[in-house]
Amino acid sequence: MRAAFSDTLVRLAKADPNVLLLTGDHGYALFDDFRRECPAQYINAGIAEQNMVGMAAGLARAGFRPFVYGLSAFIPVRVVEQIKLDVAHDKLPVVLIGDGAGFVYSHLGTSHQSTEDIACTRAIPNLAIFSPADRFEVTACMEMAYQAKAPIYLRMGKSDRGDVHSAAPQAQSGSLLEAKRGKGSNIAFIATGSLVRTAMDIATEFYPDAAVWSVPFIKPIDSKQVAAICEQSRVVVVLEEHSVLGGLGSVIAEIASEFAPVRILRVGVRDRFSHHCGTYEYLLQEHGLDRLAIEQRIRDFLTAN
Amino acid sequence: MISTTQTFDTKALRKTVLDMAYAGSTVHIGCAFSIIELLAVLYRNHLRYPGNDPLAAGRDYLVLSKGHGVMAQYACMRELGWLKDEAFSHYFSDGSDLKGLSDSRIPGLEVTSGSLGHGFSVGVGLAMGAKLRGTDQKTYALVGDGEINEGPIWEGSLFAAHHELKNFMVIVDENGFQAMGRTEDVLKLGSIQAKFESFGFEAITIDGHDETAIDNAITQLWASASIAPKALIAKTVKGKGVPFMEHNNIWHYTRLDPQTYAQALCAVAGGMQ
Repeated sequence: MRAAFSDTLVRLAKADPNVLLLTGDHGYALFDDFRRECPAQYINAGIAEQNMVGMAAGLARAGFRPFVYGLSAFIPVRVVEQIKLDVAHDKLPVVLIGDGAGFVYSHLGTSHQSTEDIACTRAIPNLAIFSPADRFEVTACMEMAYQAKAPIYLRMGKSDRGDVHSAAPQAQSGSLLEAKRGKGSNIAFIATGSLVRTAMDIATEFYPDAAVWSVPFIKPIDSKQVAAICEQSRVVVVLEEHSVLGGLGSVIAEIASEFAPVRILRVGVRDRFSHHCGTYEYLLQEHGLDRLAIEQRIRDFLTAN
Repeated sequence: MISTTQTFDTKALRKTVLDMAYAGSTVHIGCAFSIIELLAVLYRNHLRYPGNDPLAAGRDYLVLSKGHGVMAQYACMRELGWLKDEAFSHYFSDGSDLKGLSDSRIPGLEVTSGSLGHGFSVGVGLAMGAKLRGTDQKTYALVGDGEINEGPIWEGSLFAAHHELKNFMVIVDENGFQAMGRTEDVLKLGSIQAKFESFGFEAITIDGHDETAIDNAITQLWASASIAPKALIAKTVKGKGVPFMEHNNIWHYTRLDPQTYAQALCAVAGGMQ
């Protein structure tokens, strides 16, 4: 997934000299290829994210196509106001990359963990939010972000969970992608980022007829497609490595409540910080986001009424 | 009628500010009055807008980072013919375009500011862009002295110096006040010139109401052979031009009534208060 990210960025930059990569002193090995292939388009802005995003707006105004890279805890959360005022207000073509979203930095604690970034950015007008689940979605999201010439927040979470698609999907902006085909089940799974793989594993074992939809485009999202999925289901399970407040679960619940009311189980971080540190898998367990805990929550939800 | 005189006469500019502030019953008059001479000199002698087009591709950039002074910029944009008289007489009426703080959707205003410490960084980005493109465009970022409490100012200063953005000039409106009082009492700034110099800027301090001094300092800074970014520290008076507003921070917030409006008009015309 990270290789796909780097490869796509290098390809875009080589094809368009206006593409610039700005980093807030992060991405040590990740940008080796970029620095070698496009050294003049690489700017380390230092540990100064607010200035970096403001500068990106200025560079975009001057005709450049900045990709701004940081950890998701900082880009976008630390710079929400710069994104709102300097970038989104005038629909400037700045792509904000937030890496390590969720619990990737499982040993480092609250400062580097990011489970509120979608909620923090969703209400900013003109800003799109992408959240790829595998290398195919990363490539599609990056290419779309470049083509869109608009403000985009691209959320990159745990990157080594394996592919969820067998080949590059036909992705249209806003559309949910079928990661696992359904056969008329009354339960549907909708997930984004790292938890798409988990949803597929659970569905394959316990709900073989259920479809699993991956959501690489959280905003804007095809609400008609979401409503159609909800209409055909008795229960929808939404999974994300993000707070249950204001993330994908909220997106689906908002659309369902208006167009196709259905019982929705929102699987995500339950409005709390991590208490302990440990491996990524340990952190998922602490938050009830490991596979076993999710399986149990789904069973409980299905038997609740 | 659109003025085409482009003299940027400071008395006329202050009258325009008073007229629009009275028409719109608005605040921030003092913030605008401290930067009248700075803007007059910039527009008259330095800023280049090919074809008098505020959106011309090769223009210089004036970034009003202290968005609270926007009425002074509106007054200059009126002289350039970029704003119509109705925009002033209907200032703040329902549905009007001109806001109480800088909004980049108005051609001529480069940034949306008012939340402080934003325009400076956008300006650094514009200057970096001009450097990467190899153009001779210049970028001016006009900030308040209170505004430089904000961290991004100093983040951007490190960047501008490191990347040798000699095409970038910060102009500090050092009027000695911020929203809640004297800068000296809120957060001591010490020598602003020394601060920017220590960040790698070439800096000059001048009387911000002396048009000749402003003009000479800007010319001198651009003529420098140094690769350093530039800082012009302008010692100014908040509310300059109307004695009862000068050094009186209530004119950050106070609206004109018929009596104070008449008195202020008289003062800026050079008459008795």
